[in-house]
Amino acid sequence: MSHNHSHLSRRAFLGTAAAIAAPYIVPASVFGRNGAVPPSERIILGGIGIGNRGSGVLNWMLPERDIQFVANCDPQKARREKVKQMVDTRYGNTDCALYADIREFLAVRTDIDAVLSTTGDRWHALAAIMAMRAGKDVYSEKPSAMTIAEGQAVVETARRHRRVYQSGIQRLSEGNFTFANELLRLGYLGKVHTVRAHIAPWDAAEMRHDWLPEQPLPPKEEMDWDAWLGPCPWRPYNAEYTRGGWRNHYDFHTSCIGEWGAHTFAQCQVALDLWKTSPVEYKYVANDSGDGMVTTFANGVKMVLERDMAAKIWHGSCGVRYEGTEGWVAIADGYSRCEVSNPAWMGDFKKLVDDYMARTQRPMNHVRNFFDGVKSRRETVANPVMMHRTMSSVHAANICMWLKRDLKFDPTKEEFVNDAEANRFRSRAMREPWTI
Amino acid sequence: MSRSRTHFMLMAAILLGWAGQIFAQTVAAKADEPKLIATVKDAGAPLKARIDACRQLGIIGGKDSIGPLAALLGDEQLSHNARYALQVNPDPAVDEALRNALGTVKGKPLVGVIHTVGYRRDAKAVGTLASLVTSGSPVVAGAAARALGDIGNAEAAQALEQARSKVPAECRLDVYEGLLRCAESLAFEGSRPAALEIYDRLYKLDAPHQVRGGALRGAILTRQAANRQKLLKEHLGNEDYILFSAAVEASHQMRSARATTILTDALKGLSADRQILVIHALGVRGERGAIPSLLQAAGTGDPRVRIAALQVVTELGDPAAVPVLARLLDDGNREVAKAAQESLATFPGQEADAVVMEMFADANRDKQRVALELMGRRRITSGIPALVQAADDTDLGVRTGAIRMIGELGSLDQLPVLLGLLQKAGQSQELTTVEQAITAICLRATDSRAQTDRLMIGHLDKAASVQKASLIRVLGAVGGPDALQAVSACARGDDVEVRSAAVRALGTWRTLDAAPTLIAMAKETGNLTERTLLLRGYLSLAGRGDVPIADRVAMCREAAGMVARDEEKRLLLGTLSNVDSPEAVEMITPYLDEAATRQEAALAAVAVSERLLRGSGPAPFAGRLIAPLEKAVQVAGSESLAKRANTVLEQARTKAAAR
Repeated sequence: MSHNHSHLSRRAFLGTAAAIAAPYIVPASVFGRNGAVPPSERIILGGIGIGNRGSGVLNWMLPERDIQFVANCDPQKARREKVKQMVDTRYGNTDCALYADIREFLAVRTDIDAVLSTTGDRWHALAAIMAMRAGKDVYSEKPSAMTIAEGQAVVETARRHRRVYQSGIQRLSEGNFTFANELLRLGYLGKVHTVRAHIAPWDAAEMRHDWLPEQPLPPKEEMDWDAWLGPCPWRPYNAEYTRGGWRNHYDFHTSCIGEWGAHTFAQCQVALDLWKTSPVEYKYVANDSGDGMVTTFANGVKMVLERDMAAKIWHGSCGVRYEGTEGWVAIADGYSRCEVSNPAWMGDFKKLVDDYMARTQRPMNHVRNFFDGVKSRRETVANPVMMHRTMSSVHAANICMWLKRDLKFDPTKEEFVNDAEANRFRSRAMREPWTI
Repeated sequence: MSRSRTHFMLMAAILLGWAGQIFAQTVAAKADEPKLIATVKDAGAPLKARIDACRQLGIIGGKDSIGPLAALLGDEQLSHNARYALQVNPDPAVDEALRNALGTVKGKPLVGVIHTVGYRRDAKAVGTLASLVTSGSPVVAGAAARALGDIGNAEAAQALEQARSKVPAECRLDVYEGLLRCAESLAFEGSRPAALEIYDRLYKLDAPHQVRGGALRGAILTRQAANRQKLLKEHLGNEDYILFSAAVEASHQMRSARATTILTDALKGLSADRQILVIHALGVRGERGAIPSLLQAAGTGDPRVRIAALQVVTELGDPAAVPVLARLLDDGNREVAKAAQESLATFPGQEADAVVMEMFADANRDKQRVALELMGRRRITSGIPALVQAADDTDLGVRTGAIRMIGELGSLDQLPVLLGLLQKAGQSQELTTVEQAITAICLRATDSRAQTDRLMIGHLDKAASVQKASLIRVLGAVGGPDALQAVSACARGDDVEVRSAAVRALGTWRTLDAAPTLIAMAKETGNLTERTLLLRGYLSLAGRGDVPIADRVAMCREAAGMVARDEEKRLLLGTLSNVDSPEAVEMITPYLDEAATRQEAALAAVAVSERLLRGSGPAPFAGRLIAPLEKAVQVAGSESLAKRANTVLEQARTKAAAR
């Protein structure tokens, strides 16, 4: 790195916190290498649809020494300005640029290497695909695809343009959950026959199809309703949707199963090393949530959806429990440490987590794993295939509940066996002009 | 009334009749298809009903639904909803309808139709799509280019190639996208030369990085073995970082060992950044053939490269690396030495264990301390005899380190040794370390609890006061009926130090079986500190969420009978504030009248009442809460608490009246 480059970087960042934090790291764009960030250079980051959850992730990212957040895109003015305020305050300047239109944002900001996308569920896959096609690496919140077809498109786009992608399934980069997975992988539990995955204790699998009462449309510069709806069927404006009220509406959400299953199915499938496939059978349960649904992988291992019994088998949210012939382990948010059938295993906690990190080169920090991937071009822990296959399990469980019958799924062909109606749920036409 | 208005009202009435039943569902019955089609066809039907009908037909719609849906493809408002249904209908008549629409539909709906044609991979549409790429608006042209890519046959590729130089700059990325999609399809379907033609052309263009990089990746991976390796090698020397990194990334997926050799051969001549990228690729490939080159890279040069090499060497886990790691522990660069230590901590296999044990046997105290840390992290249980020996070492750091490790790695077998060490240890850091080691072993030995208790209780009689207090703390942490009995006996003894330790252990006892002992002793003792500790322990057990409410109420009632001082009353109120029972509120009530406790009592009464009255269900006990809450409003002391009290009081009155 030449002195001039370093000087250029420092000048651009003069008087900012980041200048102090990362004085020797220059952005790749300085070298005309947009989209390819060598290990010694800074990752230029942008944001798409950052709200409450996204602000949390951004706050997690900003202290990383080798990133610089430069621009934010959101169809809602108040939200995009809130992010600017947060970023500018941190950097001590007024440089964070704002965009209302994702197409303009991606076309104009060729200097941006990676984006943090934390839109509502309806936009996750489309935003990721558009960003990757524009040459950006992507960190996308979960649930990262609304349909099986969207997941496939994310996988194909990432591969086609050799993009690094991380789904926000952050428990895959947390010590307690990693320890539980390693106990399973290393055979502490014996032969594992059942894993249990928490689904959200609110909402239902059958979602709403009604519309909220129409309200006057705000000015487009305040809220671009068409962009907010994105690829979903049109419906009249109601502010409640934009304040989180989109949840549990069929067009926008993946139900109580997707809300937490996006995490817990992924945790189970990664633990079982079955993240490149999905269960082959889904047994319908006659309740409103899918609680107790038994899904079965080709190797016979069962993944059971848990809701009402959850409090008895773990304590906290987003829990999983793995059961084998030699013992069990349970973990959820809210545990300070795993619950295990054999307390002696806890003595191996640090070793197992450390060994995992050495074996995989993945830190116990989900955003860092993404940034490391951006630089090393190594696969992230929540990579597109993992996201797609585990979300396919979520979708299949939802479809099973909607059709109210047992389903068989062929993970190779990625289609339901002898069930034409189920297969029709695999994709939803996107609303023009938001196509992929 | 006009016909149309009558018709509209009739339709609305009919729809309202069954809309709730059908549209509220995700899946309609097949028998409802005619009604859904009728709704789609009826321009006078409410928009919501027509949109819902389209969605439903997406799941159950058959041949009869195609015509009515296709008729909406040009409708600005409903085109998307029509496609929503048509896109997933496998009937070939859908393709024909969509092809027809390509020629008639305009504007935004056309973009959608193009997308759906692409999704359905309708090869018969290639000609029309090709003309749209060059003649349509930029948005239409872009969509058509991508749709041609989805169809992905040779004809589509040819159309895109011809359009490449003709389209405006803003559509060029879509054409590249289409070509890349074609290349993927062609390669998948066995037309490798046609796919390669596309890839080779694209990576050489002055195109965006994601296109060039993606194309080179495809060009490498689509080739057969020897040519694939040749292209990899060629681009490892490319000055263009995009193509260099694309080539390295492609190597992640190359199975031949020759690719590893190509990467390692290239390693030396590269800049630090590029070396790091190649080193990570060697890690992903996981071939041990890379070890010599990685060790060489770890040995000298840019520290960032050395550290990356050390990390990847650890990932590959070849025993040949262990001596090098051991050597690098003494490296002059602190970061590298630290990375080597980290590698050794996690390096798989017994060879690394042996190196750590050799370090532990070294006379150098610093090395011994590092080795102790590594023994713990590697869980080297075979090193326990050496640790037991080191527990008598003259160096305090080594001695306490060894004891700590015995606690971490040891089992019941080491308990006698540790108990022996406890007898010898004075009141010091060493005593604490031994105590922690014994606790750690006992907590792990859940299956042998009786044996551990017996051993420790046996030692209680022999131990001096300091050691006895230590053992009591261990028994308190471990718990169990035998331990409870032994500690209770100590708490009644005369030795002040032992008695104090025992009371403190009882005060933090974790299992409910201690409750009777705690309350009995709290009543017995004349020592105020002991009384407070025991009462606090008892109330802490009463506050546990896993104890049935009735038991918690009974325990609080027992405690209420003995509390006298204000401090004790506050302890009781703290527990009662978490007991969701009307009886708890009644027990709180007297304290609302006492100046010293009224605010805590008001807070507790309000908190319990809020939880009891939450939700819309009946509350037969609501009347019992009114008087205490009225009092709580009066004595709340703060505006916010008074407001909460008033709110919950109103709820109580409402629910009581509802009865």
